[in-house]
Amino acid sequence: MSPSGEPRNAAGGVAGRTYPPVKFQIEAERAAEFARAIGGDPAAGVPPTFAAVYSLGVTAPQLFSDTLAAVDFARLLHAEQEFTWARHPRPGETVTSQARVASDISRRGMRFISFETETKDESGDPLCRSRALFVIRP
Amino acid sequence: MSERAVRFTKEQIAAYAEASGDHNPIHLDDDFARTVGLPGLIAHGMLQMGLMGVVAAEAAGGPDNLTRLYCRFAGMVVPGDTVTFSAEPAGPGKLELRAVNQKGEAVLTKSSADFEA
Repeated sequence: MSPSGEPRNAAGGVAGRTYPPVKFQIEAERAAEFARAIGGDPAAGVPPTFAAVYSLGVTAPQLFSDTLAAVDFARLLHAEQEFTWARHPRPGETVTSQARVASDISRRGMRFISFETETKDESGDPLCRSRALFVIRP
Repeated sequence: MSERAVRFTKEQIAAYAEASGDHNPIHLDDDFARTVGLPGLIAHGMLQMGLMGVVAAEAAGGPDNLTRLYCRFAGMVVPGDTVTFSAEPAGPGKLELRAVNQKGEAVLTKSSADFEA
């Protein structure tokens, strides 16, 4: 539920909404291409911020395509991002990520969505937690 | 302190869109970006965070040592901007992160990382 326990915006507020888990295989070549794009070493394994793909990247489209959440993608800004890692995945690993809307608040025409994703390895042990703050401008 | 200056280009932003799978047209199409009130296409916040992460990993003694990375996207980065990313020790296992453009404006603020050596 939203912090007030009732709808906070025109979309109704979707705090507490949870999306189905998404599986993703971390291909070595894909991780290396990502490393090159950020000026990192493509031979150094999976770059930490590849979490933008294997954690946030696989789950954010679930929010953006959720008609109940009604996120105006063109007016969306990524305001904050945090990743915390229990460990970093290795190339070839398959990971599973599950996301939820932690909060959804509208204030002075701006909408603030805190979107959290938990990523686990094949044994079910935690790998990474992603916390994104999205702001939707009027 | 670890530091790296990066000049942003449209090609680099397009390469990040390809590598990350984030094809939002505000990062690829100047005309589209203007229709939603932006000055033109802008770099992905996550590209800034990726570059920041490389510098933070260097300061942490290697990418596997990073246990947390936090960025607050405070300013837009457009092609032609040069951004200096830096990571400075801020106590045991802690780094203070900065990214400042060629005008001296912070594009990442209150950003930080934790690491375990």
